Amino acid sequence: MSLVNFTTREITCKIVYYGPGRSGKTTNLHYIYGRVPDTRRGRMVSLATQTDRTLFFDFLPIDLGQISGFSTRFQLYTVPGQVYYNATRRLVLQGADGVVFVADSQARQLDENLESLQNLQSNLLEHGVDVRTVPLVLQYNKQDLPRELILSPADLDDALNFRAVSSFSADALHGQGVFETLKGISELVLKRLAAGTAV
Amino acid sequence: MTTRAVEAWTLEPLVKFVKEAGARLVLVMTSAGQVLAQSGFARAVDVMSAAALGAAIMASTEEIARQLNQAPFAALNHQGERHGIFLAGLATGRGRLVALVVYDLDVSSLGLVQLFFEQLAAELQAASPKGSVSKQVLAADFERDLSDSLKTLFGR
Repeated sequence: MSLVNFTTREITCKIVYYGPGRSGKTTNLHYIYGRVPDTRRGRMVSLATQTDRTLFFDFLPIDLGQISGFSTRFQLYTVPGQVYYNATRRLVLQGADGVVFVADSQARQLDENLESLQNLQSNLLEHGVDVRTVPLVLQYNKQDLPRELILSPADLDDALNFRAVSSFSADALHGQGVFETLKGISELVLKRLAAGTAV
Repeated sequence: MTTRAVEAWTLEPLVKFVKEAGARLVLVMTSAGQVLAQSGFARAVDVMSAAALGAAIMASTEEIARQLNQAPFAALNHQGERHGIFLAGLATGRGRLVALVVYDLDVSSLGLVQLFFEQLAAELQAASPKGSVSKQVLAADFERDLSDSLKTLFGR
């Protein structure tokens, strides 16, 4: 749940990067960390296994600067993608203001993407949140892989994008689509916030 | 010493607690890890990551308690060579919050922190506004400024 303070004019929102294992959630955060100026980001925290798989979460606070006189901060989290870690995944989702679903574009990963999307829906429900109401964007990562290995964004839209939300093609390793995705979810979250705080 | 509060009602009890318990730093945050107030020497830790990690510890142990069919653990304490951290839930009119206390072992102790924490919890509960915070209107030009700010940050 976002925090809005009208006295100190501060806004803090929580964005969660969700998706199947090895789809590129942590890679998104690493790219953002590397490209956002030092003055606009905090320390990145990664709770990972010895083999660098996310164990609990990655956390990166970024400062969007002044928006309409409000100092606006986003806290970016990733969840562990592996099926085994569902309990911790559900905990990280608590209080999320927006979700980026990072799908793996490889054709052989389609079932994992669908399973993870269903898991998102079920974990949001456990927090009393309807997936149809939460700000959500989809990112189709690994679009740089050979054509014969991946599904096109149009095919992925057909398979995954039930809500017809914004979707972004990406190659998170090299940064393509990473900031477009972040900008997309930022707009949704802040517009919803602006609408929600109006009397 | 830094004292900052997103919600002003937290300030007085917090400052008093830091002084009486000899705490180095205390953070009051939501269960999602968003900081509502802080008091003490913030240089001791990176405040935002400490809050995220503290909330995660609380959430993990609450989930274990839930699986054991018991009420959430009241408090958690981890003691190192020089510092200790104390984590506990707080019931307030603004819902359940989490407090993270960092203390130096040569200045304070777990007993002292626990003793004054009960007082802090009672004072925060008494000071907290009941029910939801009244809604206010964000500036009318919020959406217009949003696009410009995002362009500036993301450079596209």
